[in-house]
Amino acid sequence: KAGVKGGSKVIIEPHRHPGVFVARGKEDLLVTKNLVSGESVYGEKRISVEGPDGTKTEYRVWNPFRSKLAAGILGGVDHIYIAPGKKVLYLGAASGTTVSHVADIVGPEGVVYAVEFSHRSGRDLINVAKKRTNVIPIIEDARHPQKYRMLMNMVDVIFADVAQPDQARIIALNAHHFLKNNGNIVISIKANCIDSTVEAATVFAREVKKLQEERIKPLEQLTLEPYERDHALVIGRYIRAQEDK
Amino acid sequence: MVNYVIFETAYGYALFECLQSEEIGSKLANVQKAVQDLAKFGKTVKLKSFVPFKNAAHALENANDVSEGVLNNHLKNFLDMNLPKPGKKKSPILGVVDKNLASSIKAELGYDCETSEIVLEIIRGIRLHSDKLLNQVKEGELVKAQLGLGHSYSRAKVKFNVNRADNMII
Repeated sequence: KAGVKGGSKVIIEPHRHPGVFVARGKEDLLVTKNLVSGESVYGEKRISVEGPDGTKTEYRVWNPFRSKLAAGILGGVDHIYIAPGKKVLYLGAASGTTVSHVADIVGPEGVVYAVEFSHRSGRDLINVAKKRTNVIPIIEDARHPQKYRMLMNMVDVIFADVAQPDQARIIALNAHHFLKNNGNIVISIKANCIDSTVEAATVFAREVKKLQEERIKPLEQLTLEPYERDHALVIGRYIRAQEDK
Repeated sequence: MVNYVIFETAYGYALFECLQSEEIGSKLANVQKAVQDLAKFGKTVKLKSFVPFKNAAHALENANDVSEGVLNNHLKNFLDMNLPKPGKKKSPILGVVDKNLASSIKAELGYDCETSEIVLEIIRGIRLHSDKLLNQVKEGELVKAQLGLGHSYSRAKVKFNVNRADNMII
């Protein structure tokens, strides 16, 4: 059996972030409620717990060493803005491992528009989306959001893990097309991918400045130590139109 | 100021008429404010016409053309049927989000196109309220169409058989 043993000894508690859970057992694990019960996506462990009424619910373990969003949550980020029912544009979806957890969090009422340009990862992403019908796979270049405008609605949140030197521009372009006014942006920045000649902190500061120039107000920033080196998670709000006071 | 905007969806093409209103006018800040409020925005843009795609294959064909900025016959006929003819004294100005498609339309049909920030703002508004503005499309149908088209569009891009794992050459 692939699941974590010891069923009744594990207690599931909701995390501070809606849609995220903690499994308390011999060790504490970050988990999401499996949208497709009975299956792992990338070989991750599953935990099945029995409720008081005898119904079983399955959770999937979310590894912070494999997902920057999970690392950010364990690092104590204040808000992830990705929550049940939300519409999320996910740039740099790769093979869909983190995407599958985001799909678990937003649940059947939410939607994840998952953009990935690499065909190799794209194939895995399509397979993840086959099982999770709240994931819309988009194999296209995130630099040209107008190319996939037919597939999009407006979204509440953009999550970006594109690891490109011009990522601030890519994110801003997508926000201008698809992010609601006052919507949120969650960005993973890998310092080496942007400029490997200066210190990581300098890169982060520069990127935040670029975002500010694109009407994105930074709200929070944290490094992803000890899970990733020279990575930061930056969270902001897209203020396209000022509210009337 | 634009008179019409074209809004491409996974379900079909929509043409909206932009009614001139003093409240909104052509100031970007005013448009941005109006867009937030459906009651106000609904008075600014009116669905002129909507043509759904015939089937999934037809939708994919159109999605491929739209993403490349190609004006195909289906879209050409749709615009031709629903827009006042160009060249008269009050020539309509069509708002298009993509510059490539705009130049294809100008070259083949002769309509003047606009791709300004205002057009983007109006399209943002239509996209935000699309469930309410596209009255022919039932709520939830649009996301369903996006899901189907997302899969077929992406599969076609990947080209290989998605069911087959790579044969690694080591």
